[in-house]
Amino acid sequence: MTMSKAIKEFVRDGDVVYLGGFIQHEPYAAIHEIIRQRKKGLTGSSCAGMIALDQLIGAGCLDRVITTYTWNPLPKPAHAFRRCLEKGIPHDVKIEEYSILALTLSYFAGALDLPFVGTKTLMGSDLAKNSSFLGENKLKIIESPFNGEKVCLIPPLKHDIGIMQVQRADSIGNAQAWGIMGDSKYGINSCSRVIICAEEIVDTEVIKRDPGRTIIPGFKVSAVVEEPWGSHPSYVTGCYDMDWKYFSFYDKATETLDGFENYLKEWVYGVKDRSEYIKKIGKKNLDALKPKPWSGNPVDYGYCAQYQEDYIL
Amino acid sequence: MKYSTDYSPIEMMIIAGSREIENGQILIVGTQWPIITTLFAKKTHAPDITICYEGGVVLESIPDRIPLFTGDPCIASNSVLLNDSLDTLGMILHAGYPDIAFLPGANVDRYGNINTTCFGDYSRPKFRLGGSGGACDFGSLAKRVITMLEHERQRFPERVDFITTPGYLDGSDSRERVGLRPGTGPGAVITTLGIFRFHKDTREMYVDTYYPGGSIEEVKKGFQWDIRVSENIKVADPPTEEEIRILRAEIDPFGMYLKNNKAKTISTL
Repeated sequence: MTMSKAIKEFVRDGDVVYLGGFIQHEPYAAIHEIIRQRKKGLTGSSCAGMIALDQLIGAGCLDRVITTYTWNPLPKPAHAFRRCLEKGIPHDVKIEEYSILALTLSYFAGALDLPFVGTKTLMGSDLAKNSSFLGENKLKIIESPFNGEKVCLIPPLKHDIGIMQVQRADSIGNAQAWGIMGDSKYGINSCSRVIICAEEIVDTEVIKRDPGRTIIPGFKVSAVVEEPWGSHPSYVTGCYDMDWKYFSFYDKATETLDGFENYLKEWVYGVKDRSEYIKKIGKKNLDALKPKPWSGNPVDYGYCAQYQEDYIL
Repeated sequence: MKYSTDYSPIEMMIIAGSREIENGQILIVGTQWPIITTLFAKKTHAPDITICYEGGVVLESIPDRIPLFTGDPCIASNSVLLNDSLDTLGMILHAGYPDIAFLPGANVDRYGNINTTCFGDYSRPKFRLGGSGGACDFGSLAKRVITMLEHERQRFPERVDFITTPGYLDGSDSRERVGLRPGTGPGAVITTLGIFRFHKDTREMYVDTYYPGGSIEEVKKGFQWDIRVSENIKVADPPTEEEIRILRAEIDPFGMYLKNNKAKTISTL
């Protein structure tokens, strides 16, 4: 499926959207398409984001945000995120914040459909004292019914739609991803609809030869989009490295509101799809991001063709 | 062993931080200064430390390029465990394994509470920062939290505007009273001016050590409250020439961390 069709069909105004990836695997190609299609009123949920939420906030697609961290990794401010929370530009966005462990547990609870998860993190912080649109339901601190000690209960977070970039998937959505995974496996499994953006669509036989790398089974996936370089300027382990120069360019380009608008005009509205964006980055720049190989010994999943001759049930 | 006479305050801070680490310890490490500090320790006096990162990485060796942040692919490809946050923040940190948690910080207050969320009112901040990431988990759960930051007076208010990462909250036993585990919390704050620790009963930060060429008066001016000074205040040993060589030539040969700070060299002569 094309990115344009997947976003049109599966992302609806007002949805709670999980933006997958933990630094790597962030779905920038999909994010740009959401902006091009001018989706509105979304709740963006991203555990440890870089400029994914920044772009969606600045473009006016989000009304609410759930996150632990949003910053340009240089490190420099995420300028649109700052403008929004400090000045309400382009419009007010409500933000609900957790720590990485707490939000990952919330996704985990969502993925398993648990009523809550108990943890010892977060208590005493102002993250626990402040809530916005989740109100009383952000978390609860209670005494454990088992030993009386204080425990922080984190509710399940479920998403209408989840999107993430992965290394490879087959055409029915069995998706394989590796590298630093952060919250991704729990996040992408806590969504009613899922769009998998793959660097490469492979035959199911490839998946079956290394099934331990699958993070979500195909039956949970609504659409698969083949989108090489879909995480640029972030990275995908084994495919391409971080484009630090682009993050630096983005920092300078989006520092002012006009600059941000011009960035969208040039790099989002100004290109029809990811392939045009990639052409604009240029072959020389892309080649510089191709990693040296770091491949392991193939893993063996072998088993005996038959049970022992004298073993009868 | 010859002491260096040519090093920056940042380099002194990194080396002071590394001296807190004992060989064989398990560390969970945040972004920025903690990265270079812990890799330097591993290269020098503590080769057998284990370094864990929030995204799901356990590292036993030094990558061939210096990681710029804790999500850097170069730590993934050199690791001995590569999975997700429930591995490192969960089954390692929440389970109580790390000896030390290293964090950067924007603001630190009298009781070691850290703010990386915002300056001003949370609902409409004057300056919005990135947020917690895993910092609140480090501060909530780790046995000994060490925070590293450049020393500027405005970074040390008596009370932070927002407690992103709980330290000792209001001091005394207030940390335990909110439900955080006994035996956890801030161990030291290490800056470009000195080393600051916490009183065992009041849990208030005090000046423990300042650096060669500095003074108690200079250090005290770096705080917005009247910080207490240890009766046994110490002056740190300067870095050795060999330490500075390793730091510059082997840990950060391209100056990814150190280049912009070289200009601020101090002299101990």
